[in-house]
Amino acid sequence: MRKIFGLITLLTGLFMVYFLSTPQRISGKPIPPLGKLLNPYSGAWQNVEKVEDYTDFELKSEHITDEVRIVFDDRMVPHIFAQNLKDALFAQGYVEAYHRLFQMDLSTRSPSGTLSEVLGPNLLDYDKKQRRLGLSYAADNAVKGWAKFPEELKNIDAYTAGVNHYISSLSVADYPLEYKLLDFAPIEWTNRHSALLLKAMTQTLAGYEEDIEMGNALRILGEKDFNSIYPDRNVKDIPVTEGPYTKGITQNATELIRTNLPSIVRPRSPDGVGSNNWAISGSKSATGKPILANDPHLGLSLPSVWYEIAITTPEFSAQGVTLLGMPGIMIGFNQNIAWGETNVGHDVSDYHTIEWTDASKTAYMLDDKIVRATLKIETYTVKGEKESYDTVRYTHWGPVVEDETNLALRWIAHDEAPTPDFMAFVNGMQCDNYDDYLTATADFYAPAQNFLYADNNNEIGLRINGALPVKKYRQGVTISSGNKTSDGWLGIIPRDENPQERNPSRGYVSSANQYSATLDYPFYYNGNFEPYRGRTVHKYLTEKDTIDVTYVKMMQNSTFSMLAKEALSVMLPLLDSTNDLHAYAKGLKRWDFNYDANSLNPVRFDKWFTTFHQMLWDEIYTIQTNTALPNPDVWVTVNLIEKETNSTFYDIKSTPNVETLKQLINMSFMQVKDDTISPLSEEKNAQILHLTRLPAFSKTDIDIGGTKHSLNAMQQTFGPSWRMIVALGDTPEAYGTYPGGQSGNPASPFYSNKIAVWAKGEYDRLILSSTPESISKSLFTISITNEK
Amino acid sequence: MKNSILFLVLFLGTLLVSKFLPWWTIAPIAGVLTYSIKAKPAAGFSISLVAVFLAWLISIYIIDNGTVASLIGKLFQVSAFIAPLVAALFGGLLTGIFGLSGALLAPKKKTWINA
Repeated sequence: MRKIFGLITLLTGLFMVYFLSTPQRISGKPIPPLGKLLNPYSGAWQNVEKVEDYTDFELKSEHITDEVRIVFDDRMVPHIFAQNLKDALFAQGYVEAYHRLFQMDLSTRSPSGTLSEVLGPNLLDYDKKQRRLGLSYAADNAVKGWAKFPEELKNIDAYTAGVNHYISSLSVADYPLEYKLLDFAPIEWTNRHSALLLKAMTQTLAGYEEDIEMGNALRILGEKDFNSIYPDRNVKDIPVTEGPYTKGITQNATELIRTNLPSIVRPRSPDGVGSNNWAISGSKSATGKPILANDPHLGLSLPSVWYEIAITTPEFSAQGVTLLGMPGIMIGFNQNIAWGETNVGHDVSDYHTIEWTDASKTAYMLDDKIVRATLKIETYTVKGEKESYDTVRYTHWGPVVEDETNLALRWIAHDEAPTPDFMAFVNGMQCDNYDDYLTATADFYAPAQNFLYADNNNEIGLRINGALPVKKYRQGVTISSGNKTSDGWLGIIPRDENPQERNPSRGYVSSANQYSATLDYPFYYNGNFEPYRGRTVHKYLTEKDTIDVTYVKMMQNSTFSMLAKEALSVMLPLLDSTNDLHAYAKGLKRWDFNYDANSLNPVRFDKWFTTFHQMLWDEIYTIQTNTALPNPDVWVTVNLIEKETNSTFYDIKSTPNVETLKQLINMSFMQVKDDTISPLSEEKNAQILHLTRLPAFSKTDIDIGGTKHSLNAMQQTFGPSWRMIVALGDTPEAYGTYPGGQSGNPASPFYSNKIAVWAKGEYDRLILSSTPESISKSLFTISITNEK
Repeated sequence: MKNSILFLVLFLGTLLVSKFLPWWTIAPIAGVLTYSIKAKPAAGFSISLVAVFLAWLISIYIIDNGTVASLIGKLFQVSAFIAPLVAALFGGLLTGIFGLSGALLAPKKKTWINA
């Protein structure tokens, strides 16, 4: 009897070892392997980081030629000191993995469609959509293209070797916390991972298209109303570049295809992605030398989107931020120059119709000939389940994203770049004059960016770097025919003919995701352009003759909404006498149009304007439940009500009466005036979520103002992910701030330590240190020497 | 005496070997020990449990400065104070069960029936 009890307890013990070492599901909820996770010797406790424990250490690697020192300053920013570029990039790979390995891993799994491999079957559908968009295929093409530049490729090889040096040094106890929680292990990093990162960037920044939705709208509304509600161009916009351009090519118009299709459901550019940048010439700056400012707006996350880094070799010393997984510095400065980017919203993603010739969809018509599609079988390894498969059809245009709609995607992301595009940020950071910088950045392919530049020689400039298609007039507004190869883009605009400006007479250059060029620009483009921030930058920069760093800080943090100002100047005077006396209206009349965190007025305006906008465009919103249609832009509403006192659009179709603008304004006001509201920051509930969305690793209830259309474009989860200001001179005076911290480890004091500073609109001083000794307060140093 | 040695061996053993061997190794070791010394089941269970519980708890207090406790607390919706105790209890219970099985499976000692 006793032995039987003994055996039962032994089996129970063995079962417990198994149970505590493997992930479980309890009533549908995933439970991490508790023993693995909670034991003190290899579990989560090992991930604690204490400032007093930071100590210097040494590494040896066969991949470097000379000694490298990495000094972490008191903000945990690594300052890399190397004798040559490749050694420096090895060190960059090492420190990025050292601080952000899990982030690098997860953010490349999204484009490669391998999230379900580590996160389980819930992500399988997402993975399939990503691969059907051809992101993995695109990364393969990129790597194929890179192989044609063996000399440049050595730089990315060095970076990759650095990442792998860190990965191979890890024991289970050293794994980042998230690996322990999700129970998987880091895998070897390859150059393809860097390509995937570039593709993820392209998806976020150049994934815009509304081809089906616009085609549906054209069919339902007819040409006249369609052109009124979805105009190509906002007449009030001040484009990034003013030309003058010479109108060269006369482009034939494309006949827009009308569609009756459901939306293709896929991950695409999220609403709220955008950025500001501007550079003031010495003639307009308080210091007599240019000042450059840049703040990219992205989906905020923990670990932070950006990583601060400084790189010094005998040739240069540069500092700034980079996205994890790419060598070089994307936004930054060196002794002589400063640079930064904003996104270009051109539509570089077009759907083409496919006419299959067989029921099993293996061949299609192209140029009156039958052409076979390439069938690619995608295999998915799914955690806890058996493998899954999916066949994706690749055509002349690109992949068929959904088999049902018979549309193939032509997307700039799929191209094999004809240049070593990964070198733009490696070479850019080393330049000391604009001509060199233009040459260095000309290699960049996608996603196209407004590359802004300033130097201490009093040059300022901006050029779009990246591939912009040559299109026929209005090509890509709706879906395109795919019958003939001539239905496609006519080529890529030569880099020298991309929109650009150099030392313009107005004394500054700027961009904020608005249209790229004035109407005389010879190439047609459509896309997604921000209507108010660009004009707000111009307003601030023209309002003041001499501009200093304090003024630039004020601009970056400005919550002024030009949308609110313009809309209310029409809406408030049209309120009838009873509504006009209501507290809601009285508040708005006194409002300065700033989206302050503690103010009720921005909430009042948003509610009223949204209700009004939806009432006005009832012809769209009432049928949106059945038909995929694009949302009319807010600027279309504002431009309409400013100009037209009578318009057929004011009528609400479902009522027997014919409504007027005044009636719409009062009706929408009545609908919202008695709503209970809280101050902006409470209504907004700004939050920065960990990549896994786990609340334990996330920060919520961030007290912050701002709106999509103000320079401080902070929404709930999107906003300024890095703010940088560089006043050039003999020594650059630089400032930076970002919502997060250097470390990706939730148990590190440097994980989210910078959020409070950023939310208050404050900055850290960024000090360019050209020698290890000049870093006064350092946390620790890593020395890397050659193995031999 | 025998029980005190068992306690010490398990307690110190946990602190010494766990860094190098899989986290659960100490549990079967406890089983082997209680089997070899023919521990009484109650003692085999409780001494194994307490020794490893304490070793884990002390290790956690030495390693952590409260940051991980607070993260784990948030993850499992318990207080940061409870988190180390829960963690240590997993180690303790697992080892206790192996300790018990070792004691039960050991050849019977005459004294056990009379005791």
